[in-house]
Amino acid sequence: MSFVFAAESDFDPQHEFILEEWIPLHLGPLDMSVNKAVVYLWVGGFLTIFLGIWLMRFGLSLRPNRRQTTGESIYELVQAQIAESSLPRKALHLWFPYVASLFLFIWILNIVGFVPLPISNDTFDFFGVELPTLGIYAATANLSVTLALALITFGATHVEGIRYNGPSRYFKSWIPEGVPKPLLALIVPLEVISQFMRLISLSVRLFANMLAGHMLILVMLGLIFIFSSWVLIPISVVAGTAIYLFEVGIVVTIQAFVFALLSAIYIGAAIEPQH
Amino acid sequence: MDILLAQTTDAGLADLGKAIAFGVGVGLGAVGAGIGLGTIFGSMIQAVARQPELRGELTGIQWLGFALVEAVVFYALLGALLAFVLV
Repeated sequence: MSFVFAAESDFDPQHEFILEEWIPLHLGPLDMSVNKAVVYLWVGGFLTIFLGIWLMRFGLSLRPNRRQTTGESIYELVQAQIAESSLPRKALHLWFPYVASLFLFIWILNIVGFVPLPISNDTFDFFGVELPTLGIYAATANLSVTLALALITFGATHVEGIRYNGPSRYFKSWIPEGVPKPLLALIVPLEVISQFMRLISLSVRLFANMLAGHMLILVMLGLIFIFSSWVLIPISVVAGTAIYLFEVGIVVTIQAFVFALLSAIYIGAAIEPQH
Repeated sequence: MDILLAQTTDAGLADLGKAIAFGVGVGLGAVGAGIGLGTIFGSMIQAVARQPELRGELTGIQWLGFALVEAVVFYALLGALLAFVLV
């Protein structure tokens, strides 16, 4: 929240979401520059790998300690709630790892987004040393990240559907059974569009949730600076903290859960269309 | 008072209209999602009251429904933001 240190300047909440190029990297038309979101992705990716290895990969025993219990409960949550209820048995071994890592990765990206980290465009003067200001920013509050994740699911859905059923049976399964012939002209475009709407709804749901969560906290605290009044401080801080707790306690987990669950449902429904 | 006077220009009026449209758009989205969330949690309470042993199975479905319905507000927010910025 860099504006805390720049209270007198103009308040614009969207400033926190501007991505400046830190290490410019252009491959032809591709812009692969390293910016704030990329650094947050690195942090999230590293933490996911570390957590996965630390929780589940060594020192396992029949009398589990606390670390192993945590790992097992995460595993069991994904297995019971997400994978087994929506993926068919024959595809479980192949797609359970994907769904589980999707859940863990998105959850960590979301939760890292609510920890104040010194990864920011702004700096402040601390006894003569220029330090980056502490800021909160989530990599998932960026449409490119969530769209990339949704594209993987989208690609996997159709590849698996065709692989298990063959192209003609798979594409026929999009159309509901017993539709009269004249209605087909109406139904077929609708079903094709609905497949692509999944892509939008999957990515925008996560992106907009995280963006709106960060915006709300920012705006609640920003009210102090918009009206430049001391009276607002208790109200703003309490409201901001309440939203923060709601986001960290509920939204972060639910969004990761729903993204993984919907991925599993889409892939499972493509593999066994009659369900 | 200064703020009100500034709105009497044409550009000011356009900004005013955009702000009102933004608020109404997101607000209507929130009304829909509010009704939906009320229905979901109300049904959940009824279901658990009738059959408490099903709570575990129902919780997952409840949160899935919660997230799907809640996202509607954000579609409204995104649409309103796009209209606000682009128009």
